[in-house]
Amino acid sequence: MSNAFARTAHDIGSRALTWLHTHRAHGALSPSVRAELGRDADAYKTVGELTLAASLVLRGGVAGTTELALARELLEHCWHQLGDGSLLYERLLRHPLTTDAIETYAHFARSGYRFPELERLIAHTVALRSTHAVEHVPNRRLAVANAARVIGLDTGPGAYDWDGLTRATWLGATPEPWHIDWLTGYSVTHTAFHLTDWGRLPGGLPADIATYLTHWLPVWTDIWAEAGHWDLMAELMIVGACLPEPWTEAADWQRLAAVQHEDGLVPRDAQPVDDEDDDDPARRFDAHYHPTVVAAVAATTALTRALDAPWQPGS
Amino acid sequence: MTSERSRTAHSESADQLARRALDALRGAGGACVAAAHLDAVEDESDRPVALGAVRVLGADVLAPYVLTGQDIPAEERDALELALSALPPVRTPPAAPPAGPAPAWVTAWVTWGLVTAYTRLTPTDAPAAAAALPPGPARCDDTAPRRAAWPADGGRTTAEAAGTGAATREGLQEGWVTWSVRMGQLASLALPGLDGPVHDAARSSPLALARGATRAMLRRDFPTAARIARWLAWLHAEGVPLPLAPAPLTDHIGLHGGGGRTDLDTAIAHRLLSLKPV
Repeated sequence: MSNAFARTAHDIGSRALTWLHTHRAHGALSPSVRAELGRDADAYKTVGELTLAASLVLRGGVAGTTELALARELLEHCWHQLGDGSLLYERLLRHPLTTDAIETYAHFARSGYRFPELERLIAHTVALRSTHAVEHVPNRRLAVANAARVIGLDTGPGAYDWDGLTRATWLGATPEPWHIDWLTGYSVTHTAFHLTDWGRLPGGLPADIATYLTHWLPVWTDIWAEAGHWDLMAELMIVGACLPEPWTEAADWQRLAAVQHEDGLVPRDAQPVDDEDDDDPARRFDAHYHPTVVAAVAATTALTRALDAPWQPGS
Repeated sequence: MTSERSRTAHSESADQLARRALDALRGAGGACVAAAHLDAVEDESDRPVALGAVRVLGADVLAPYVLTGQDIPAEERDALELALSALPPVRTPPAAPPAGPAPAWVTAWVTWGLVTAYTRLTPTDAPAAAAALPPGPARCDDTAPRRAAWPADGGRTTAEAAGTGAATREGLQEGWVTWSVRMGQLASLALPGLDGPVHDAARSSPLALARGATRAMLRRDFPTAARIARWLAWLHAEGVPLPLAPAPLTDHIGLHGGGGRTDLDTAIAHRLLSLKPV
């Protein structure tokens, strides 16, 4: 095993987490948004993604003491933002066909935060045929299935047909790799994230899909790196860490480190981050928190796998 | 700049020659390729460029005869002899990249392909100039970083520089990006009847070729995609299992098109796959 990338990945992850923690207030919910939470899932999307990053840093256990403390504080902040889980409960109770509350709660449950009333509501909801028939895009169905698995509610009447869900996705068809586009790239990454619970269960990828990804990830990562789509490039790097035999290239980490700002922000793409018309810190956070979350997740998943699995030679 | 104009003239001449080969392959033009190209020269000062185009296309000039079995007309033989005597093969081909100079090495192989295909088609009429077999290409390591190279300049490998420890591998090796692009430059060797170290390299790395073709497609670099896809078609004709289906890839490139050489590459790939062009 060669971990030439490890130091670079650690530095990227540490700086990204620090930036997310420092600027977390920009993702806070306003009182009016709280009141309207029942109607608008996007209102707390940022909180959900900060929760994901923090939960995976804590789960991985490869972060230093400082980073672990930042992740705990970030998670506590997000839990508080959501009324210690009560807003998720209200949203799911009022809008039983939405699944975002289940998906968001899973990130907290992963880290030991529990809200018993919400879990009873989720247990009821995931057992309904209606919930399974919600007309999501196929990779989103896997997100719901993984959330139920993480919460521990994926058995009995709420059991999911993982193979059927998998084969309904673009990735599940192992299609012509030269036909992918930017948006489908995200479908691929999310299918892999949910099948493996973000790298925790690499065996969740069927063997043919794991082989397919091993073949084409190096190409796709190269393409979106060349195009300067750092967000998708880093998501593909996470997929590399989800494979049964994890894959990465030190050059990709070096490229990500080169575009990361000194304060930890990872830009979404190759467009300038700061200009005279747009130096509002809140807008800056809104535009770039996602790639910074992705970078933090990429670092922690890659480093976690590096400790427990052989890496491709030359990586 | 003069050199830019010169490059453009050479490129245009090669493209025109490729169209003549394509017409002959489709039975749409005359039976001659190189001879017709030289006959079309109006200004004598353009003749070296036209002769150079034969050497750029290499064995592709002979593709209509190789793939259809039609005889080479006498005037076509004269034209090929003229091109080979005007620009004879080098006596000592250079070392293969990354150790040696890539352009000269590619030229040596393309010329070898032309001379070898011509010799096979006209065994009783061997060309005046024989071509020495150039050194074989570097091996591609599918698991190596994309642009890795052993050995790099100065003997210190990029693997050593990256601290990956892969420098203990022996011989010339490259990552799939550089390697597949260079194999594409040797696409005129992907013809029935030609075989050698370049073909062995293709047989040993179908995944690298498939990755290279996929990368070129996603970069919308259809000329490069067509060249590499031709190797995939050649491997398919050899019965080598491939990580992607070459027929839809070739069809897709053909639908985009991209100039005479790309169209010729695609038509040859279709022939190798025994497909009708879409």
